[in-house]
Amino acid sequence: MIDIQDVHKSYGSLEVLKGVNLTVEKGEVICLIGASGSGKSTLLLCINALESIQSGKIYVDDIEVHAKSTNPNKLRQKLGIVFQQFNAFPHLTARENVGLAPRLVHSKSRAESDELACEQLSYVGLADKLNSYPAQLSGGQQQRLAIARALAMHPDYLLLDEVTSALDPELVGEVLDTLRKLSDSGMTMIAVTHEMSFAREVGDRVAFFHNGVIHEIGPARDLIDNPQEIRTKEFLGKIK
Amino acid sequence: MTIDPNFSLKDLIFMAQGAAITFALTIISGAIGTALGFLIGWARTSSSILVVALLGAFIDVIRSVPLIIQFILFNSFMAIADYPLDPFTSGIITLSVYISGYVAEVVKAGIESVPRITRLAARGLGLTYLQDFFYVVVPIGVRTVFPSWTGLMLGVMKDTSLIAVLGATPPELLRASQIVITRVQEPLLILIGAGCFYFFMCAVITKINMRVERSWNITGSTFK
Repeated sequence: MIDIQDVHKSYGSLEVLKGVNLTVEKGEVICLIGASGSGKSTLLLCINALESIQSGKIYVDDIEVHAKSTNPNKLRQKLGIVFQQFNAFPHLTARENVGLAPRLVHSKSRAESDELACEQLSYVGLADKLNSYPAQLSGGQQQRLAIARALAMHPDYLLLDEVTSALDPELVGEVLDTLRKLSDSGMTMIAVTHEMSFAREVGDRVAFFHNGVIHEIGPARDLIDNPQEIRTKEFLGKIK
Repeated sequence: MTIDPNFSLKDLIFMAQGAAITFALTIISGAIGTALGFLIGWARTSSSILVVALLGAFIDVIRSVPLIIQFILFNSFMAIADYPLDPFTSGIITLSVYISGYVAEVVKAGIESVPRITRLAARGLGLTYLQDFFYVVVPIGVRTVFPSWTGLMLGVMKDTSLIAVLGATPPELLRASQIVITRVQEPLLILIGAGCFYFFMCAVITKINMRVERSWNITGSTFK
């Protein structure tokens, strides 16, 4: 379970998160929607300690993320993260990209990590691209590679930061299909997304971010089809 | 004793020996300077303002004062301090430190060429700072700045000739050529010969480095 309690986060004098509260149960898929700059992506970085917070608390399985006694490297093994921008390691093949962290962090042998990489790459439909370099892959393939890389660490949670936003429209589907498959397998996910149909269909709950707080939250279909707050209505009206 | 004014095989061997010394000076101080410059460049990306400022000042001085002055100053300073060094040792130390100032800037550029998001991704997978640095940042950065570094090393090869001010014997290539010129009085011919030696040695370094670069390209790691 991920428990976020009254989290405040500022960059200099700019307060990005102004008291965020959110609880995510195991197996749940939560979609975060809202305008750019509303703090959704920052929240993801705070959850796996890639960003510090000014006040509040975040617990992942009862581990306090920003406590001094918490080892962030250990914590991050529970939390896979995939970003909007392509970030495959350009000097490594798809197989090596996926196998690197298991080898370094989980001390797996090269043979073990290779096998694990093949497994994960097959899962995301890249079995024929094992030895390709990122530069030889399409955007959609690179994002699936990034998902496979995160999955190879066997995370308990997956944080997804607009993973389809940088993709050409015809490539969005293949990535969403992968995420759908993951959700069906019971993976807990927090996904920042602008894909309302995906949020509606795959999300258990949807949280609408506005001005650094969760302005409205509810079951995915209810919130998207029938928002209660005026800001939410405005936002969804613009998107549709 | 009469002086033989003709260019002989002995002169050629003398110049070849000079070339070997030039090459050795380049490789030794290039290696030490690169290692030192790597550490300085890495430290320059640290978050400590003091470290960044101090190393920045060091690099500014190293890059602004002519190398020939650095050779003389360091050598004289060591003599005054009662630790006289032989010219080669003194020369190699000065040259290595000089090179490190330039390499540090190249290394810093290489580290900064790696996108923040790539490093976040690495750390997000649970890699430690050092694992991220050595398995992600260094391999990517090296590929980016390798051509600049090659250029630096070719410059070093020619800079080694300034060690002559310390009177190092046996002399390196340029000094050896000058010695031969004084006797044979054929400056044009001999300088062309010396130039050929330099060209050949630079060509060796360029060829090796091109091969290294090509091995990265063949494996498809050309970046978009």
